[in-house]
Amino acid sequence: MSKDYTQLESTRIAADYQREWAKGLRAQITSGEKYAFVNADTPHELFHHIGVPIVTNQWWSAIIAAKQLSEFYFDYMEAAGFHGRLARYSSLPLIAELEGDTGRQPWGGLPTPSILCARQSADDHQKIFSLWSEKTGAPLALISSPAVPDPQADWWRLARQDWEELYHTDRLDLMVAEFKALIEQLEALTGKSFDHDGFALYMDRINEQERIYEEATALIAAAPQCPIRISEQIPNVMIPQWHRGSDWAIEHAQRFRDEVAARVDAGTSVVENERIRMMWIGAGLWFDTSFYAAFEASHGAVFAWSMYLPFAADGYIRESKGDPLRALAARVSAMNEQLHQPPWINSWMVEQAKRFRIDVALMLIPEHDRFSGHGSLFAKEALEAAGVRVIEVWSDMVDQRQWNRDEITARIVPVLDAILAERI
Amino acid sequence: MTSPEAAVSAAAALERASQQREDWSKATSLGRVGIFGNGMPETLIAAAGGLPVHVSLGTTTARHPIEAVIEPFVDDEVRHFLVRLMKGDFAGLAGIVFARDDAPAMIAYQYANEWIRQDREREPTPPLFLWNLVHTDTKPVQDFNHIQAEKLFAFLENVGLAYPSDSAVADAAAAEASRAEALMQLRQAVGVTLSGSTAATWRNAGRFMSAAEHAGLVTDALGSPAETLVSTRIGIVGSPLTCPRTYRMIEQFGTVVCDQQTFGQTWPGPGNAEADLDGILSATAADPSCFRITPASVYRAALVRNLVDAKCAVVLCQLAQTDDTFGWEIPALFAELGSHGVACVNLGFRDSNPDTGWLERASRLIEQALEARK
Repeated sequence: MSKDYTQLESTRIAADYQREWAKGLRAQITSGEKYAFVNADTPHELFHHIGVPIVTNQWWSAIIAAKQLSEFYFDYMEAAGFHGRLARYSSLPLIAELEGDTGRQPWGGLPTPSILCARQSADDHQKIFSLWSEKTGAPLALISSPAVPDPQADWWRLARQDWEELYHTDRLDLMVAEFKALIEQLEALTGKSFDHDGFALYMDRINEQERIYEEATALIAAAPQCPIRISEQIPNVMIPQWHRGSDWAIEHAQRFRDEVAARVDAGTSVVENERIRMMWIGAGLWFDTSFYAAFEASHGAVFAWSMYLPFAADGYIRESKGDPLRALAARVSAMNEQLHQPPWINSWMVEQAKRFRIDVALMLIPEHDRFSGHGSLFAKEALEAAGVRVIEVWSDMVDQRQWNRDEITARIVPVLDAILAERI
Repeated sequence: MTSPEAAVSAAAALERASQQREDWSKATSLGRVGIFGNGMPETLIAAAGGLPVHVSLGTTTARHPIEAVIEPFVDDEVRHFLVRLMKGDFAGLAGIVFARDDAPAMIAYQYANEWIRQDREREPTPPLFLWNLVHTDTKPVQDFNHIQAEKLFAFLENVGLAYPSDSAVADAAAAEASRAEALMQLRQAVGVTLSGSTAATWRNAGRFMSAAEHAGLVTDALGSPAETLVSTRIGIVGSPLTCPRTYRMIEQFGTVVCDQQTFGQTWPGPGNAEADLDGILSATAADPSCFRITPASVYRAALVRNLVDAKCAVVLCQLAQTDDTFGWEIPALFAELGSHGVACVNLGFRDSNPDTGWLERASRLIEQALEARK
């Protein structure tokens, strides 16, 4: 039963690695090393390849929230004159920066970055990052984000090989040109030359890493019962994702896949008698990840799916086809949009729900992070049409002031009860 | 010199156009092309032989199943538009062009496109086009924007209009230049003979007619008798606002001389009167009123410059319930305006047509701010 659930060794290793990495990064930075503060949907690969360490906005936001600091910062945000309906997930690190007391922040806070980078996928990203730039004086590299005018619903089938057709030549041309400008900026920052030949190999290694995660995804999806909690899926895919293409990341992906495979082979599962399979739609509930285990003992209900693991393959694998920079543009040019815009999000959710044999979806709809919330009701309808019960969770991934665990539990329990009653 | 009768008649026509919106232009023989959002140069539609008409200012009390997929945080203008679109209100248009860098327009396009892709319940709808112009000035962006213009022209040809020739672009730009001249006179009249409320109505009436017709009507209407004005100079910033009651409440305290919200003086965009395609695209891409312009600092700098140049004594910020962008500007904007001696009042969130309670509260806040300046 779930009380006997044993954490993966991989999870401990990933957490230890990230903690040591962060410690090392701090030491590097305080001794004058340059680093970049970037949004999740920017071309991390360019920074990694030229040797500029990055801190990802959304990761840092999740860390602040996990340290139970979001309430303090969002109160500060409103006291500073920013109204309470602005985005939280993508702004929490900015608010911590504006508040200024680094001693309050996790690990003593972040020093001033050497460069900031955001993509204009959401309307407010450039506002948030330009405030950061104004505060710190760090230069801001903004990547344009023209939209795909004719989004094809089955994007994940086309994205690996047929990305030119899917994302359009004019958009990719623009993004490649903007990458080249960013590379020049990074070369000037570091005094190094960007190794284009090495970059092709590096991009291949990222595809290799994401294929390993694809295998892990397939194992979990096909297993008779879910072998690991999503609270373990997430760090085991996302921590390596922030270091993608590195030796450690590939090695860790293999370790994780193998550990999952061993559990599947051994018939190990999150609960002994799995009766209901659930999916968590949206970003992680960073301040209350134990919620993901809340219905295991009472209902045999397991969260089997969150977006992070399956998105490793569908969102990242882009065959280079002799032009790795263009393949990177294909990876980045609709990265966030695929998770939040119709028809991409609704189609993918249905495909994933079927693959993972999902009974119930909990859909996080952040009212004040509109980019992440748009398209939610299209996805809800599509899932319901596919036979999945959907429970809307109007909350926020980092703002615990909007989270009432008892209230949401009281809404979920009758749904789970009803499913179990139907199965008697 | 316009006769008093002609001035009154022109003013009445502008009022009617403002009320009738896209219906004002129904009698035209030109192919009407809808525009959702700021950032689409009307010149290019006119150069194709079309009549640009804006589609995001209307409201409806009708209901439609599409409402089931519209989240509560979607902007009101999107909700009204989608219902109207699916009810067939825009079936007579040759097409609708959505400006990607206008936040409500992007969502309106996505939701409309998806509803239609799923072939859900609806009346006839015209073809939709996403105008993907990027707002910055690098060479790759210039090249990209040219491609978007080519795509637009292909769309316009597909819906039965002409491929715009250079001379047609120049002619359309000349008409826009005459409109720009008339609107400059309109701006100069505000605070002298004209209220900001009337100016907003007359300006936005142009969203439903040709540039030449608009220029003529505005020029004639400027001969209307002077309105009674309160001398305090007021600026407006924040979310898109068209509510006449709100303007009337504000203008009890002064005259709106600098209206910097989306439905204010930011339209028509700066590219419209340029003589050729290069100029139109470059000027449109450099429009500082676009939330998404790069570098981002241009946006606030232009706001401060315009409000200070207009000698505003007080600037009023008002926000749609759904604002998630302008709010990031407020603390720094207020601080910068304060350093110029401009008082700032945040009137907070409001509905599209605010209720009496909101208007009374806003009224008290303005009164207090003006008292504090004495």
